[in-house]
This record gives sequence, C-alpha cells and structure tokens, in this order.
Amino acid sequence: MAKTLIRRMKDLPSTHLFGSGTPMCAGCGGLESLHQIYEILGPRTVFVNAAGCMTLLAIYPFTPFRGSWLYTAMASAPAGAQGIRDALDILLAQQRIGADEDLNVVVLTGDGSANGMGLSATSAAMERGLDFLYICYDNEGYGNTGQQFSAATPHGARTATSTGPHGFGGNKKDLFSIWAAHKPAYVATAIGAEPVDLARKVETAKQLKGPRLIITLAPCPPGWDFDPRDAADIGKLAVKTGIWPLKEYIDGKVVHSKIPHPRLPVEEYLKTQGRFNHLFQPQRDEALLAEIQDSVDRYWDGIAV
Amino acid sequence: MYRIRFHGRGGQGMKTASRVLGTAFFQEAFQVQDAPRYGAERRGAPIFAYVRASRTAINERGVINHPDLVAIADDSLISAPAAGVLQGIGPRTVMLINSHESPETWQHRLNLDNTILIVPAEDAVTDRADLPFAGMVCAGAAARLVGVIGREALATAIREELHTHGSGLVDRNIETALHTYDLMQDHANAVTEGTEISAKSYASPQWIELPLENAGSAAPSIHAAATSTLLKTGLWRTMRPVIDYDHCSHCWWVCSTFCPDSAIRVNEEGVPEIDYDHCKGCLICVAKCPPHAIEAIPENAAKAREEKAHATKTPDR
Ligand SMILES: Cc1ncc(C[n+]2csc(CCOP(=O)(O)OP(=O)(O)O)c2C)c(N)n1
Ligand code: SF4
Ligand SMILES: [Mg+2]
Repeated sequence: MAKTLIRRMKDLPSTHLFGSGTPMCAGCGGLESLHQIYEILGPRTVFVNAAGCMTLLAIYPFTPFRGSWLYTAMASAPAGAQGIRDALDILLAQQRIGADEDLNVVVLTGDGSANGMGLSATSAAMERGLDFLYICYDNEGYGNTGQQFSAATPHGARTATSTGPHGFGGNKKDLFSIWAAHKPAYVATAIGAEPVDLARKVETAKQLKGPRLIITLAPCPPGWDFDPRDAADIGKLAVKTGIWPLKEYIDGKVVHSKIPHPRLPVEEYLKTQGRFNHLFQPQRDEALLAEIQDSVDRYWDGIAV
Repeated sequence: MYRIRFHGRGGQGMKTASRVLGTAFFQEAFQVQDAPRYGAERRGAPIFAYVRASRTAINERGVINHPDLVAIADDSLISAPAAGVLQGIGPRTVMLINSHESPETWQHRLNLDNTILIVPAEDAVTDRADLPFAGMVCAGAAARLVGVIGREALATAIREELHTHGSGLVDRNIETALHTYDLMQDHANAVTEGTEISAKSYASPQWIELPLENAGSAAPSIHAAATSTLLKTGLWRTMRPVIDYDHCSHCWWVCSTFCPDSAIRVNEEGVPEIDYDHCKGCLICVAKCPPHAIEAIPENAAKAREEKAHATKTPDR
C-alpha cells in the first residue's frame, strides 16, 4: 500500500503552483479542490479536459497550469488520455525523452461527463489498464450550461430542468462503486473542504500505476444557490452529515477515510442551499426530508465507527 | 422603440432584470426582445443584458449600440473598460446608477451632460445576503423611467419570471422593485423612445483589417507557465477580505489552502498576504479563518480607506 507523508494542515504546501486569474466563479468548490490537487501533483502533468466549466481554465493564450492541456469532446477525455500516454510511451521507448521528462496524464471532467457521456470511454480505459489519473469535480449538474440535472444530481434538488415541487425525481448515480467494480488501481471520493484528506488521496494516487480515479464533491454557488462565502462550510457539512462519504478503494477493499460520528441530520446540509428551499418553504416537506435522511442512514448502516 | 441596456456582474441579477422589464413591457402590450450577453467568465465578472420594446414589430437584432437608458447595478464597472458601460452613449441617453455618489459627481467624472439618476446604494452591508437584489433595483427604476409600465404589470412580470422560487423571495423582490419604482416617481418619462434605425443607415463597425498570417505567428505556442495571472480578476470583487494582522495567528495554511483562486500566499515570515489583483471576493477565507482575523468590507469603502491612508502618508505641498 502506498505511503502518504501528509498528516496535518502544516504538511500541505504553502506555495501555489496553480495560477490565479481563472474565469471560474468566485467561490467555485471545483476550483478549490483542483488547486489543492495541483499543488500535490506538481507541474509535470498534462491535463485532458472534457467540455464543462473547467474548459474555461485554459483559454488561449491564458492558462493556470504550468504544463500542457488538451481539450476533448464530452465523451472522449479518457480516449484523449490514452493517446497522450501512448505517445509518451513511444517517445520513452525510443529514448527521445528521458524518464525525467515523462508526464502524469490527468483527465479532468465534470460529473455530467463522468457519469454520462464519458462513462463508456472511462470504462474502456480502465479495462485496458490505462495508466492515468481521472479527476471528476462533481457539482451535481451540467454547470457550464446552466445547471441542468445530470446523473449525479441528488434526489430532491432543484435544477434548471427539475423545477417541480419535489425537485429532481431521480437518484444520484453511485459512480464510486461503478468505477470500483472495474477493479482499477485506485478510486477515492474527496472534497476541497477537507484538504488533508484530499492531499493524502492525491499523494497515494500519484504513487500508483494504472487507472486511478478521484471524485471531489464541488459545492457550486450559482448551481446550488448559496453565497460563495459558504462554499467550504457547506462542503464540511456534506461530510459531517454523511451525505458525501469520504472513502478509498485500494488493494481490492473499500475503506472510509473519515466516518462522521456523531452524524449530523442531513437537513443541516440541505438547508444551506437554495436548490433545496422547497423542502423547507412554504412548509416542510417531511416525507421528502425523511426519504433523503433514510437513504443516508441506510448507507451508513453496518459501516463500523 | 425603447432600447435599454443593463450592466452588472454575474450573480447580481441583471439577466433577470432584463427579463422582468421585458415581460413588464409585454404586459403593457409591447413587442419585446431581451437577451443577456456574457463571456466565458462566471459569477462576479461583468455582464450586460438588453431589452428592446416597441408598439410595432422589431426588426433590429443584436446588441444595442445606441441605448436610451443604461442601468448600472454596480458603479465600479463604469471605470472598467471591458464592461463597456459607456459604449454608444449619446446626448439623450439616460444613465441610472446604483451608487453612493451624486449625479453631479458622475457627470463631472465622466465629463457628460446626460441625465444621470442615482438609486442610493446600500451602505455598510457586510453580509451580501442582506443586499437587495441589484437587478430588481434596476428593473423597478427602469420600469418607472420609461413611463409606460404600471405597478401591476411590474409585479406580474416579477411573479412570472421568478415563479420557480419560493413565495418569500418573490415578495421580497416585488417589494424591492416597487420601492425603486416609487423612488423614480419624479422622473417618470425621463427615458424616451429612440428613433427607428433603418437598415440603409447601417454602417459597419470600423474593423481593423488584419492580414492573414501563418498560424505560427498569428497564434504562437505559449510556453510560459500560469499565464492566467495576467488576467486581473480582482475587478470582479464587490466585497474585500482584509486581514487584521494583530489577530492573525499565522497558521498560514487555512486561508491560503481554502482560497480557490490561489490568491492568498504565505510569505517567508509565515504571514498570509492577499493578492487583490486576483481575489474575486468570494470570502471563503473570512468564513474559514480560525481566529476570525479576516473582515469583509464593501469594496468602495475599502478603496476610500486606502485613499485616506494614502493621503495621510503623502505630505502636503
Ligand atoms: C456532446 C456534447 N453535448 C453537449 C455539450 C454542451 N455542454 C458543454 S459543457 C456541458 C455541461 C457539462 O457538465 P459537467 O460535465 O457536469 O461539467 P460542469 O459544466 O458541471 O463543470 C454541456 C452539456 C457538449 N459540449 N458536447
Ligand atoms: S458554475 Fe459552479 S462548477 Fe462551474 S465555475 Fe461556477 S461555481 Fe464552478
Ligand atoms: Mg457538473
């Protein structure tokens, strides 16, 4: 098992490799996790990005990265990563670049791409054992196009296309389990609001070979309807209420890296966001609140503290 | 035809303002066009939205270049060239500014004789949630200034446009809009319809023709790292986080780690420094600082404070 050196906040890097000046929203939870991830990954990376908010990071001639970036169609980021990995491997084999010039190939997509259009390409990349890292920032909707629901939208949330009295009627896809079922080298969930946990996971993934995938929950001020100031607090609440479990799949086992104890009622999290307003106003939707709480409770049932 | 442009920042509700005004015009039997315009940037970045309204068919398309009214949600945008607030302003264009300053100050500053009307901006609000929605402030005022929209049509338009939100929010917005509607009572009809522009009079913009160059020199490869820092996203800020160094416990990692924009660095002495050229004013640092050593102040108050500090430092001559 990989070793991590990061134990506490003080061990996190104090300098920033990731450039300021990006066009992401003020308070973007996806950017909060990405800049933390980048500090650990370092500059020897090449990003392969599927259409989504983060596409706007690198608009020629501006980029926050220190290395290259490739833009692909929404369904194809893992295929793009395969091409880059193969090219690097050929260059290495022909000794046209040295081992010190090799790059980490990193896929960066939103939840819409990861859970929907891009899932098949990801599955195939895992099947081929592609040596890459996949980062999905999960803002639980098609953020870039105005927060329509995606396969990762949680039950009951209002989105631009779920405006009824009970919000989104479907259920959030369990992408972690779908990915883990492929038995890749590593899968984890994380969040920018828990920087030490996130950094440890990135550090672990960086040391492994093969397919490695991380989903970070990305509180999104416009999409979830909250003041940007609250982004990190809402992220913390997602963990404390147990609605966003922090876990890893490694060596064939799923391990929780943080078990909330005691677990706060899930409405402490829901009530911070306008997308769940209809659960509380004009009157409390007790049935839907109980349904959401119940699904969280059922998840944690039997998971040892 | 009325031609109205709303300027604000993503998140201030200017797109909604244009929808509300458009729908209110529609309630009064006008034909209407409304459209928002924004670039790749997100919440906090300058955006504008525009409305055309006419009793007869509207054949004009595209961005409004000769506005009858320009409504500005955030006066800090006026000095930002990228926001294009002053674009195409003519002598009869009315300007409506959400500001602390007087019409005379703005006339002087902009060197314009135009009618400038002020909706007093909210003072000393440290929680953005307490701010009335700038979009509704502007929509309410604009509805009165054109003189052809009644209170009822305005309220109906707001109800229609915000129907997916809770009734509390709808009522608050109606109240805000009607309040500024009433504030502008003395200026009802200040905005008049502009003349029709015929297709014949259309003159294309003064393009600068560039010779076709090979891709290598027209779009050179960029090898520099982190070039995004050339973009000054500090212009997006309406609230400014300020560190009180007497209370900062020099933990360094908290504000600096949580800042999504890498806009807080820690210097060699372990002291955090905010990069105001890039800080977008999300205020996550204010929420996360363990000893609560970071305070949020409105950007214009912060600027005034800076100017004062500067004045006391510079000796009189
Ligand atoms: C095949 C295809 N369909 C639709 C789009 C339009 N589109 C661009 S970004 C986007 C949203 C992507 O959502 P997600 O992957 O969750 O990323 P986010 O925008 O939330 O960051 C959509 C639908 C596209 N680019 N390609
Ligand atoms: S819409 Fe949401 S995910 Fe997209 S940049 Fe804005 S905050 Fe980030
Ligand atoms: Mg998304």
